[in-house]
Amino acid sequence: MTLSRRSTLQALAAASLTSTFGGRAFAQAESFRIGALNPVTGAGAPYGSGMQKMIVAAAEMVNAAGGAGGRKFEVFSEDTQTTPQAAVLAAKKLIEVNKVQAVLGTWASGVSLAVIPLANDAGILHMHTSGAPALSVPPANAKGLGYRYQATNDRFGRAFAEICQKEGYKRPATMAFNNASGIGNTEGFKKAWEAKGGKVLEAVVYEPNQPSYRAELQKVLAAKPDVIVTGSYLADTTIILREWFQSGETTKWIIPAWAANPDLVKAVGNEVSEGLIAVDSISNEGSEAFKAYDAAYRKVMNQDGLSNVYAAMTWDMVVTLALAMEAAGPGANIAAINAKIREVANPAGTKVSTFAEGKEALKKGKINYEGASSVLDFDQYGDVTPDFSVSFVSKGKIERKYVVKI
Amino acid sequence: MEAYLIAIAIVSAVYVLLALGLTLQYGMTGIINFGHVGFFAVGAYAAALLAEQGWHPLPAFLAAGVLAAAAAWPLGMVSLRLREDYFAIVSLGFSEVVRLVVTSEKWLTKGVQGIPGIPKLFTGLGVGLPNSLAVLAVLLLVNGLAIYAMRRIVRSPFGRMIEAIRDNEDAVKALGKDPARFKVQVLMLGALLAGFAGAFYAHYIGYISPDQFVPLVTFQIWMAIIMGGVGRVSGALAGTLILMLFLEGSRFLRDVLPFISEVEMASVRLGIVGLALILFTLYRPGGIMGEARRT
Repeated sequence: MTLSRRSTLQALAAASLTSTFGGRAFAQAESFRIGALNPVTGAGAPYGSGMQKMIVAAAEMVNAAGGAGGRKFEVFSEDTQTTPQAAVLAAKKLIEVNKVQAVLGTWASGVSLAVIPLANDAGILHMHTSGAPALSVPPANAKGLGYRYQATNDRFGRAFAEICQKEGYKRPATMAFNNASGIGNTEGFKKAWEAKGGKVLEAVVYEPNQPSYRAELQKVLAAKPDVIVTGSYLADTTIILREWFQSGETTKWIIPAWAANPDLVKAVGNEVSEGLIAVDSISNEGSEAFKAYDAAYRKVMNQDGLSNVYAAMTWDMVVTLALAMEAAGPGANIAAINAKIREVANPAGTKVSTFAEGKEALKKGKINYEGASSVLDFDQYGDVTPDFSVSFVSKGKIERKYVVKI
Repeated sequence: MEAYLIAIAIVSAVYVLLALGLTLQYGMTGIINFGHVGFFAVGAYAAALLAEQGWHPLPAFLAAGVLAAAAAWPLGMVSLRLREDYFAIVSLGFSEVVRLVVTSEKWLTKGVQGIPGIPKLFTGLGVGLPNSLAVLAVLLLVNGLAIYAMRRIVRSPFGRMIEAIRDNEDAVKALGKDPARFKVQVLMLGALLAGFAGAFYAHYIGYISPDQFVPLVTFQIWMAIIMGGVGRVSGALAGTLILMLFLEGSRFLRDVLPFISEVEMASVRLGIVGLALILFTLYRPGGIMGEARRT
């Protein structure tokens, strides 16, 4: 693509003319504009660029298959810097200047909460990967234009409670990293556990970036729990487990898998990690959709697709959007497309795993897209309920034992 | 496009308010305040919480400013007698304390979950362009008032006194004046402006959480006044505009240079700001607006 100054000026002039006289000019345009708004820098940086590249890759795949509903995708990429303020300005630019019709892939809850009102005002779709429960309901999701591809923190908590019950623990305590996600996990657990008639003995919240968590650990262990449920990250979990092991206690641990991963086992050693329980929402990894995503991810990022669950979610965002557009037919507006999203993703219909397959199957009847990140069935709030895998660490290996459905 | 420009203008105007406060404190009085974001946070939370209680924005904004100024009073009392570099450390600590209090006092601030759904201002005029324009107009008015007040202060005996404190505090003491009292007053005035800025910010972004009030915000304001020219009102204006131009303009650079991906652009953006700061300190130590300190 070459751009001379003249053509840029012409384009600018044309754009300002159409916005002055023609109102929104994209109604008849043959492209559908999507904004890839991802955490390329900041706390989300380990995931952001992969998420963004998968949006581009999925859009190219849809375009190569002839477009969706007669339209081709055009992707505009922006960085949220994982801060609400930068995200708001970036979203304003995408919506006002690039005139995107959907914003895809915001990551942190704070960012999504700040961006979703803008999407509501503009009447466009917003698909995100944030855990905060507030995103499901009004005012955030007042118009039903928001879709969440990640399990809510609440659902993680419910999964933890199921596991506790199944493993026969009676006296749980919790430890949480002090942010929305960490606390969301343990409070979700507390709610679910108390609904089962149990009692949480102690709930400790700790500040991040400490060299030692001994004081917090002592407080938890003083309550003599038989299991400790955490909402934690890798760095702090490593320190906590080492200090716990030194204390000689025999408590069990239930830890989300983004903290209890092979790196943790390597860091603390086989002896300390023996018997840890790691819980994760399942990327739909056996599925055909996951294979397609994995191939694309390896090609662009040169890494295993499993290393970035959020990239699988952004891949699914583009595919569900494309299938909904295909189902809604040529020239459909946002409301018509929005109305089709659950129809193409939820059960009752032929199961499909790629856009091309879905496009074919739509000619014959209803479809049900089974995604790369989960089976992707949206409830009335636009939330998905993935299954959770329960893995035990044994001799330095993390082995999946069973699957919990909530 | 218009709405995007207005959005940038609104955020810029909020930053200008912050930069004005810091200009008063550092540029005119020589107080090294590394905790400006703390007062910004107090203002933002005060406005958000009062809005939740159903307060009218006008008294809520005043309360936000007054509360921020009030937060500056004890800080000033205990620490302004320290030499200036020690105050820098204390103020940085203060802003972190504010952030940790906001994080911990869940009953009031909802902790790390943040406060969502802070109502937008002037929605009665219609959502979108009309109410954004109204917000911008009010912000410009407040900025204008602040600039006017600062110009008056510079020309008043008070202004001469604070500049004397900046230039030679010992001489001021030798003349029998108490610099600490003036410094506390300046600190509170700067905090008042930061409090207003926080209130506008909370109502504009609509969602606040502790992780938006990290020291980086303070240092962005510092970057702005260093680039613009320390100690001058015009410097605060020019510096903030340059900062926003770097941060936002780089988004459009990519439309002209399509071979740079967003991932690379993010690094390029930080690199450009850093390079500009270095070049400024090398070749234009007084900032854009030139000769800043008459030392």
